[in-house]
Amino acid sequence: MLKKTDPVDAFQVERLTVDYDADSGGPLQDFSLNLRQGEITCLLGPSGCGKTTLLKTLGGFVVGRDTGGVLFEGRYLNGPTPDIVMIFQENNLFPWLTVRGNVEFGLKFKRGVGTQKREKVDDMLRIVGLAEAADRYPHQLSGGMRQRTAIARALVSDPHVLLLDEPFSALDISLRRRMHTLMHDLWEKTGMTMVMVTHNIEEALQVGHRVIVLGDRPAKVLIDADTSADAMKDRYSPESLALQQRIESVIY
Amino acid sequence: MAKKTNGVTAPLIVGVLSVGALLGAWELTGLTGGALASVLPPPSQFLRSIAESNFRIGLGSQAATVTQSLLATFLRVFVGMGIAFVAAILTGALLSLSRVATWSLSPILQLLAPIAPIAWIPTAIVVFGITDVTAIFIVFMGVYFILTLATLAEIRRLPPEFQTVAGNLGATPLQRWVWVTLPAILPGVFMLLRTNFIAAWMAVLVAEMVGLRDGLGAIIMMGRNLFNNELVMFGMVVIGLTGFVVDRLLQFIGQRILWWRV
Repeated sequence: MLKKTDPVDAFQVERLTVDYDADSGGPLQDFSLNLRQGEITCLLGPSGCGKTTLLKTLGGFVVGRDTGGVLFEGRYLNGPTPDIVMIFQENNLFPWLTVRGNVEFGLKFKRGVGTQKREKVDDMLRIVGLAEAADRYPHQLSGGMRQRTAIARALVSDPHVLLLDEPFSALDISLRRRMHTLMHDLWEKTGMTMVMVTHNIEEALQVGHRVIVLGDRPAKVLIDADTSADAMKDRYSPESLALQQRIESVIY
Repeated sequence: MAKKTNGVTAPLIVGVLSVGALLGAWELTGLTGGALASVLPPPSQFLRSIAESNFRIGLGSQAATVTQSLLATFLRVFVGMGIAFVAAILTGALLSLSRVATWSLSPILQLLAPIAPIAWIPTAIVVFGITDVTAIFIVFMGVYFILTLATLAEIRRLPPEFQTVAGNLGATPLQRWVWVTLPAILPGVFMLLRTNFIAAWMAVLVAEMVGLRDGLGAIIMMGRNLFNNELVMFGMVVIGLTGFVVDRLLQFIGQRILWWRV
């Protein structure tokens, strides 16, 4: 698969150390990694290996010790920024707002949108295929529709980066595959940097241009694979099967 | 569809029959004409008696219509509950935004919460006199502390993702409170307000019985002082009916306006 732009770094993680509990040792110690702009990177690894912590540091929700840090577009991240938006596995949507209300929430605190607000929300609802469901409330939606609403709300504010924390793990296999297609369509349209944490190897290979497997504690990069080639998108191709086996042997 | 209709109508029919049976038994007791009939005069008897006095209760210039008494009690309960509701939400906001406020105010709230609203009546009469403010204060004291603790509990059980999402989209702490925390906790706090309505209702009736000259509680006290059981029974029935109607109204608001669950 072709990349839209020449890859440059969106994130530079430099000697990052995160200690939730100083006695037990943090999940990330002196950890370094670069993530390229305009790519979909998938983070895989066993539970507790530090992939969600890494994702939170990329969003500025967790700030590590001052011995290192995360550089985003060349500047150190000190906290959350509207340029980097995160989507969670659940509890993304506000139950008292309709689909439209939830998507509009993405622009509520953004200056300079003004009269374009409705137009932008309508466009985004069309892109994620929810124009017909705009007046429904979250409890009236399927799991896939809820996650599409969350994606629409995240994207309507034109962020530079989308972070996804196991966003499709609660969905069944057919919905999950439709969401993978949606993610690719969105990436084709926006060329946005996306970083997704997942437990599903097949999902990582399908969606990601790059798959990073973390392991051990504190976390280490065990595999860093380029999965942008078309052969990697065919789950039964020899290249894909070989990588799947390699990842399985490292994780399990 | 038929099942759904049965689901609504069957309890209604059984409920109406049950109340009808109670009224029937009550009327039969009245027909016996014994001591029980004079202590528990049936509706046909006390309604006739109240209608003969044009639904005015009291003596001379102090007499008030039943509607006036009803409105006086309603005003006290709703104003007291409304102020307590808003104050509890604001206190909850303050406590959730400031650790120092939580450390300093939480022990006071927990010390005052267990005091029954009725215990405040003597103090309130001394401070505010025999006025509407006394009754409103009693209702406020009966509801405010419980609602404040409930507001805090609701805030604590909110999914952390809500705050993260709003902060991530550029909301300031105050904006997060107004646009996320407040709507998220409103249904839960309102449900507790409904639960505490009975407590507020009882508090105001007691305040009216012991001090105030009007209101539904005062009707019962007037009946007692005049040895008029018909008036006592009438007051009790009006209290029961209005309490039931208001509870259903609050239930309706909870289900139709503040319907979401977090």
